[in-house]
Amino acid sequence: MKETLTDLDYVSIYANKLKENPDLFKQHAELIDSQIKASKEIFKKKFGTRNFNENARKYLRAIQLIK
Amino acid sequence: MDKTGYSLVENTIIIKRELNSLDIFVMEFIEVLKKHTDYLIVSGFVSISTGRTRGTEDVDVIFPLIEREKFINLFKDLIKHNFWCYQSDNPEEVYNYLKNFQSIRFAKKDQLFPNIEFIPFDSTKKLKSFEFNHPQKIKISNFEFKIPPIEFEILYKELLLSSQKDMADARHLREFFSDLINKSKLEEYKNLITKYKK
Repeated sequence: MKETLTDLDYVSIYANKLKENPDLFKQHAELIDSQIKASKEIFKKKFGTRNFNENARKYLRAIQLIK
Repeated sequence: MDKTGYSLVENTIIIKRELNSLDIFVMEFIEVLKKHTDYLIVSGFVSISTGRTRGTEDVDVIFPLIEREKFINLFKDLIKHNFWCYQSDNPEEVYNYLKNFQSIRFAKKDQLFPNIEFIPFDSTKKLKSFEFNHPQKIKISNFEFKIPPIEFEILYKELLLSSQKDMADARHLREFFSDLINKSKLEEYKNLITKYKK
């Protein structure tokens, strides 16, 4: 019977591929860059730029990331 | 041509890749921070910067608690370099968190994520003190920074943090740095973490 791979198995496979082929770091950068770009746009739209800190703090208190 | 993902040059791990936006964010913070105090980058960013492909919202930076005046200078310098603090715009107010050993967070102006979780510690925190005093230098392009010994980071995630995400981060480090990992250090750090974990 064919064994099912776990999430940790996939982490191992990818780490080994990356070790042999650093070109895969390009995919890694694409994921990170797109996450940061999306987050920047979402929160700029949500909180504006005039009172960003105050608006962001209200949100952070609501999600209990700050007291 | 050498096609491995990293090399070790004079005890510095060199990761063979270009900087991404997360690295640049962390680099800008560390450039300001190191003018004021010593530091160590721990946890998720250690795995992510070495290739673990997952998203993150925060980067954990530990530092020995500094005096109020020194912190106020650091705070003002961070503001000057376009960072803002989640807790307050008033450094006196923010210092109250630190002196109670509560972490604070900084992000870039008009941004929420990623953020730096800035975590104070003192000598009573044995594991934090140990990793801080045994830094591993790592370099990505022109960004050189300090992380815990790889063996320590793996075991800290496996034995202390232990979430699914931490176990995957540890597995990534075990595989990616398999040629570098020292078994006797693993044994030594395992004993240390077991002794001091609560």
